[in-house]
Amino acid sequence: MSSVLEGLPSELVSADLASGAAQLRVDLAIHPLSAVYAASYVFLDRCFVLLDKTDDHTLRVTLAPRKPGADESVLRAFVGEFANELLSAAWRQQIAQDNRAVIEMVTSQAIAAAMGAPSLDDLAGFDFGDESFEDPLGIAMSWEEKYKKKPAASEGGGTPPAEDGGGQP
Amino acid sequence: MTELRFHRDLYAGAAIDEAVKTYARFATFELAEEAAYWVVRVTATSDARANRVARELANFALGTTIRARGERA
Repeated sequence: MSSVLEGLPSELVSADLASGAAQLRVDLAIHPLSAVYAASYVFLDRCFVLLDKTDDHTLRVTLAPRKPGADESVLRAFVGEFANELLSAAWRQQIAQDNRAVIEMVTSQAIAAAMGAPSLDDLAGFDFGDESFEDPLGIAMSWEEKYKKKPAASEGGGTPPAEDGGGQP
Repeated sequence: MTELRFHRDLYAGAAIDEAVKTYARFATFELAEEAAYWVVRVTATSDARANRVARELANFALGTTIRARGERA
């Protein structure tokens, strides 16, 4: 005979005290099937769990504690704990889904770092390319290029420098 | 005799077959198929034993189904 568990919504939870089992109605729009599976798996060692589909959007979860003689308070505790686990599983899956890109990026970076420094062969095969890059401080310039003497003509002398470098330090 | 009905959308058929094989030495099983359900009828030396084996079988089938889903994901 089905009875109501005090403190829990009667439209969602019912109990059969004679058989020591409680039934919980789960809306799949709120808790995805994967979350129901995750929560059920956690309870397999403490309860007998049976899933059934009442319609396309609703599941019925039957929980029967393994220990015989479960009374109303035990059933209420199991149903409450299952509901919490269900919510937790659904939320964990939502977080994993939202952070999937970040998790994949961090994982690939960790794997790449674990592979170690590139070998000489890797460097030899690396395409450095000819594309210009910004170098505002002139770090990539050679010393000679950076501090070379400016032509004498620009110093206002008007006479071209001698071929033998005479007069120049 | 205890009858178990496993919805095809929720339980893998292979998991039920495996569960039946695992518990074959504890009871007698009769398998049937319906449009939406796998049906397992459990007969044992007593109703209490049949009920207990049926519940254990259901847990085994659910656990195997969930593990199989996890490996596929």
